[in-house]
Amino acid sequence: MLSVNNLSIAYQTTQVLNEFDLSLATGDIFALTGDSGSGKSSALRFIAGLDEVQSGQVILDGKQLSSSGIHKIAPELREIGMVFQDYALFPHMNVQKNIAFGIHHLSNSEQKVRVEELLLMIGLEGFEKKYPHQLSGGEQQRVALARALAPSPKLLLLDEPFSSLDKNLQKQLVLQVRDIVKKTNVTSILVTHDKHEATIFADKVGVIENSQLTIS
Amino acid sequence: MNIKTWVPSTLVVLALAITSVGIAQAKSEDSVTVYSSRKEHLIKPLFESFTKDTGIKVAYLTGKGGALIERLKLEGNNTKADMFMTVDAGNLWYAATQDLFQAVQTQTLKRNIPSHLRDPKGLWTGLSVRARTIVYSTERVNPTDLSTYENLADVKWSGRLCLRTSKKIYTKSLVASMIYHQGKNKVGDIISGWVDNLAATPNAKDSHIMNAIVAGQCDVGLVNTYYFGRLIAKNPNVPLKLFWANQDTTGVHVNVSGAGVTKYATNTKGAIKLLEWLSSVKAQAIYASLNKEYPANQNVASDEVVSSWGSFKQDKMNLAQTGVLQADAVKLMQIQGYR
Amino acid sequence: MEKNCLKSKIWTSVLALLVAMPIFVVALSWLFPERELWVHFSTVLLPSLISATVVLLIGVGLGVTLLGTILAYLVVMVEFPGRRWLEWALFLPFAIPAYVLAFVYLGVFDYSGYAQVWMREVLGLPGFDIRTGSWAVILTFVLVFYPYVYMMARASFKRQKINIIEAGQLLGASPLRVFFKISLPMARPAAAAGLLVTLMETLADFGVVSLFNFDTFTTAIYSAWGDFRSIEIAAQLASLLVLVAFLLIYFEKKARGQAKYYSNDVANKKPYRALGAAGWLISLFVFGVFMLSFAMPMLQLIIWGWTSVGEEWSVKYVDLIISTSVLTTSAALITVGIATILALPSRCKRSSPWIKGVISMATLGYALPGSIMTVGLLYGVNQVSAISVYFGGQSINHIIFGSIALLLFAYVSRFMAIGYSSIKASAEQIKPMFTQNAHLLGASRLRLILKIYLPMMTPGILAGGLLVAVDVMKELPATYLLRPFGWDTLAVQVYELSAEGLFERAAVPALIMVLLGAVLMLILQLLDKKSSKNF
Repeated sequence: MLSVNNLSIAYQTTQVLNEFDLSLATGDIFALTGDSGSGKSSALRFIAGLDEVQSGQVILDGKQLSSSGIHKIAPELREIGMVFQDYALFPHMNVQKNIAFGIHHLSNSEQKVRVEELLLMIGLEGFEKKYPHQLSGGEQQRVALARALAPSPKLLLLDEPFSSLDKNLQKQLVLQVRDIVKKTNVTSILVTHDKHEATIFADKVGVIENSQLTIS
Repeated sequence: MNIKTWVPSTLVVLALAITSVGIAQAKSEDSVTVYSSRKEHLIKPLFESFTKDTGIKVAYLTGKGGALIERLKLEGNNTKADMFMTVDAGNLWYAATQDLFQAVQTQTLKRNIPSHLRDPKGLWTGLSVRARTIVYSTERVNPTDLSTYENLADVKWSGRLCLRTSKKIYTKSLVASMIYHQGKNKVGDIISGWVDNLAATPNAKDSHIMNAIVAGQCDVGLVNTYYFGRLIAKNPNVPLKLFWANQDTTGVHVNVSGAGVTKYATNTKGAIKLLEWLSSVKAQAIYASLNKEYPANQNVASDEVVSSWGSFKQDKMNLAQTGVLQADAVKLMQIQGYR
Repeated sequence: MEKNCLKSKIWTSVLALLVAMPIFVVALSWLFPERELWVHFSTVLLPSLISATVVLLIGVGLGVTLLGTILAYLVVMVEFPGRRWLEWALFLPFAIPAYVLAFVYLGVFDYSGYAQVWMREVLGLPGFDIRTGSWAVILTFVLVFYPYVYMMARASFKRQKINIIEAGQLLGASPLRVFFKISLPMARPAAAAGLLVTLMETLADFGVVSLFNFDTFTTAIYSAWGDFRSIEIAAQLASLLVLVAFLLIYFEKKARGQAKYYSNDVANKKPYRALGAAGWLISLFVFGVFMLSFAMPMLQLIIWGWTSVGEEWSVKYVDLIISTSVLTTSAALITVGIATILALPSRCKRSSPWIKGVISMATLGYALPGSIMTVGLLYGVNQVSAISVYFGGQSINHIIFGSIALLLFAYVSRFMAIGYSSIKASAEQIKPMFTQNAHLLGASRLRLILKIYLPMMTPGILAGGLLVAVDVMKELPATYLLRPFGWDTLAVQVYELSAEGLFERAAVPALIMVLLGAVLMLILQLLDKKSSKNF
C-alpha cells in the first residue's frame, strides 16, 4: 500500500534521519515517535509532498509520488489527508464548508449527505453552521479529522493532533479518533512525541533514535 | 520611535516652521506683495529687475487664478497682497466685479497702454497681448482653404480638426467673443460643427494639438501663438504654420495678461510704481518676450521670432465682454457636447 | 470606568470632528441654494458624468483589486525568478504622482507618442486616439493605485498560516482554487481597505482626468467653480462625493463583519514554486507591471530631465527640497499622532457607534478634491473670524491665512484616511487577550498604552507615517493655494512648469520628488523586513 524507502533528512549540516524505510498495508495504523528535532514531522511532511528532503522515495498504491527526495506529484494530487497540530481549519468557512472543501466535485446533495455522515461519526451533529472560532479545541480537532477523511483519502497523516489539548480530553480523544480511523479502514500515520499515546493509538510503533528508525 | 520622541520632535519642527514664516512675512514699506497666476519663471526676472531699478523688493505667491481670487475675497481688508496679477481678461473682469481692485489711472499708464487693453475705470491694466489663431500642417493643408474660426465647422474639415478642451479659459474667451459678434444661436451651430469635425477627443494642452498635427492625427487646430513660438524655438523645421483668422471679418481673437492694485493694499504707492514700471518700454520688452507674447505697450517692438509671423488685424471687442459672456459660452459648449 | 469612558469619548470626538471640519463647511453650502444653475447641471452635465464616473470606479476597482491581490499573492506564496527584488520594487510606483504618470503615458502612447509612431511606421498598424473611451484612463489609474491594494493584501497574505494553505492543497485544491477559496477570502478585509482608498482617490482626482479630458463628477465641481464662479454649487456637488465615500466606508465595514483572523505567522516557506517556463512567465508578468508603472515612466523623466537640467537647475532647488521635506515631515508626524490616538484600542470605543461615526468622518477628507477641501477650510476659518468679530473680538484671518499651521491642518484633514487605516490595521492585530491580561496585572491605561499598544502598533505607525509623507509630497491643490510666501514645493514647481508646456524642465523637479518618495518607500521596506523578523 505505502512504501517509503531510503528517506534521509538533514537540517543544514546535521543528519537527523538516515535511510528510513517503512511499508504499510491497507488499514494499518502506524505511530512515529521520537524527540523533538528527530525529523519525524519532516518525514510526514515529505510523504504529504509539502517539504523536500535530501533523499527518499514514496510509493502509494503503486504510484511513485516522490523519488530522490524530490516530489513528482503535487500535494493536491496525492489523495492524502492530513490533520495538523493547530488543525488549520479555514477561519472564514463554517463547519459544513470546511468539511465539504475536499469534495466540491460532488453534487450539493451528495456533499450534504457526506458531511452529515462524518459529523455523526465524530459526534458533532448539528454543528454545520458553526464557525471554527465558536468551537472548543477538541471540537476543532474532530472537525479537522472529518475534513481530512471526507474525500476518502488513501492515506491519513496526523501531525501531533492531540498535543494542544488538555490531558483528560487527550486520552478520551485518542481512543475516539482511533475508533473512527479503524471504522473507515484508512491507512494512517500518527506523529507524536508521546510514546504512551503512540502505543494506545497504533498497531505498530516506530521510534526514531540516533537518526535510526526502530519498529516494534 | 515612541510617543516620548515624536511629540517633542513635532513641536520643534512646528516652532521652527512658524518662526521662519514670521521672518519671511516681516514686511516693510519698501516691499510690494503680489499674488500671481502668471507662473514664477515668467515673473521672477521682471521683479528682480524692478528691485534693481527702484530698491523696492517684491514678494510673490503664485497660484491658480480662481483659487487666488477666492483667497483674496476671504482675506478681505487683512490681505497681504498689494497687487493681483493674472492671465485672461475674464479673470481680471471677475476680480473687478468682486471688488478686489482699486482704480488706478495715472498718466504713465494711459501713455503706455492703449485704452482697449485697460479697464475703463482703471481697475486693471493689460500687460501683454496673446493671440489665439489657426495652426495648420504645411504638408496637408492649402492655406487658401483657411479663412475663419467659423469656417472650421465646415464639413471639409471633417476628421481633420484638433481643439483644446472647453474647460480651458482660452477656449471659453474665444467662444465668448464669438457670441458677442454673432449671437448664441449661430455660435451653437458652429460649435456643433467643430465637434463633428474633431479628429480626437479635445486636447488638454495646446502643445498636444501641435504634436497631433505633426503626427498626422489631424490637420488644423487653434492655439495661442506663444505655444507655437516655443515649439519652433525647439524645432525650427516643424511642418506647421500660423494662419491669421478672420482677417476679413472681426479679426484675430486676442486676450491679455494683466494686473491691478488690490483694494486693501497696504503699500498702494509701491504697487502703482510696480504697475507703471511693468508698462514701461524696458519691462514690456522682457515681459512679452519671456513668453513670446505681444507687448501691450505699442512703443515696444515684438520679439524677433514673434515679428516674423507677420502683423494681423486684432479683434477690438472690449475685453470685459469675455468675462460677461463666459458663462453663456460654457453652457453652449456643454450643451453641444464639446468636452 | 464610566467616567473614563466619557472623558475618552469627548477627547476622541473633539479630535475627530476637528479633522473633519472642512467636510462640515462643505456640507453647509446647501444653505445657499442656486436653482437656475442646478437645472443646467442636472439636465446637461450630470447624467453623462455620473455614468462615466460609475464606469471609472468599477473599472478601476476591479483592476486594482485583481492586479494588487494577484501580485501580492505571487510574491508571497510563489517562488519564481527575481521574486525577492520584485517584491519591493512593486512598491515604488507609489512614489510617482498620478498626474506625472498620466503625463508620461500620454507622451508615449497617444497618437503622436513614440509607441504609436513606431506602431504605424514599423508595423503599419492604424493609429488611434487613446483618450477615446475609458479604457486608457482606467488603465492609468490602475497602474498608479494598485500599490495600495498590493501593500495591504501582501501584508495580509504574509500573516496567513502556511498550514491553512497546505490543508487546502492536501484536500485536492489546485493553486487557483487555493487562491480564490482560501487566501483571497482571508485577505479580503485588507484588500477592501486598499480598494476603498483607491476609490476615494479616484473620485477626488482632477489631474489625471483633465489630462485625458475624461469627464467625471469632479469635472462638474470644477465647472461650477471655474466656469460659473459658484463656489457654493461646487461645494454642494463635492459634498455628494463625500456622501458616496461615506457609503463606501459603510459597505466596507459591513462586508468585513466580525471576521478577524489573528495570526502572526510569517511564512518563510513559499507553498508554491514555479519552475522552468511557468516561473519565467510569472517573472515576465510581474516585471512587466513594474516596467509599465515605474521603470518606463522614470526612464522618460530621465530623458526629459537630461536635456533640461542645465537650464532648470539652480540654488532654488535647495529651498524647494527643504520646504518640501519640512512640510512632509511635520504633516506626517501630526497626522500619525492624531491617527494613533484615534486608533488606540479601547473598550469605550469598541462599543460606541457614535465614536465609530466620528472617526469615519475624520477619514472622509480623502474623497474631497483637494482645492474644494482647501476652500472649505478657508471658509471655516472665515466663519470663526466672523463669530469672533460679532462678539467684539478680532478677525483671525490675517494670522491664519497663509500660515503654515493652516496648510498642515489641510494635509492632516486630507490624509487622515491613509494614516488611520494603516495604524488601525496594526491595532487590530492586538488580541483582546493582551489587554485583559495586562488589566489583570494591574497596569494603568497609560502604562498599557506605552508598554503594550504603542510598541505593538509601531510597524503600523511607521508605515502610516511614511505613506502620508509620500502623499503630502505629491499633494498639489492645497499646497498651491495655502502655502506661505517662500514655501514652494517640488510639486508646485512641477505644476508651474508643466502647465506652461515646459515638460522637459518639469521633469527635473518631478524626478527629485520621485527619488525622495522612492527613498521613503525603501525605508518602509526595510522596516517591514525588520518587523517580520521580530515575530
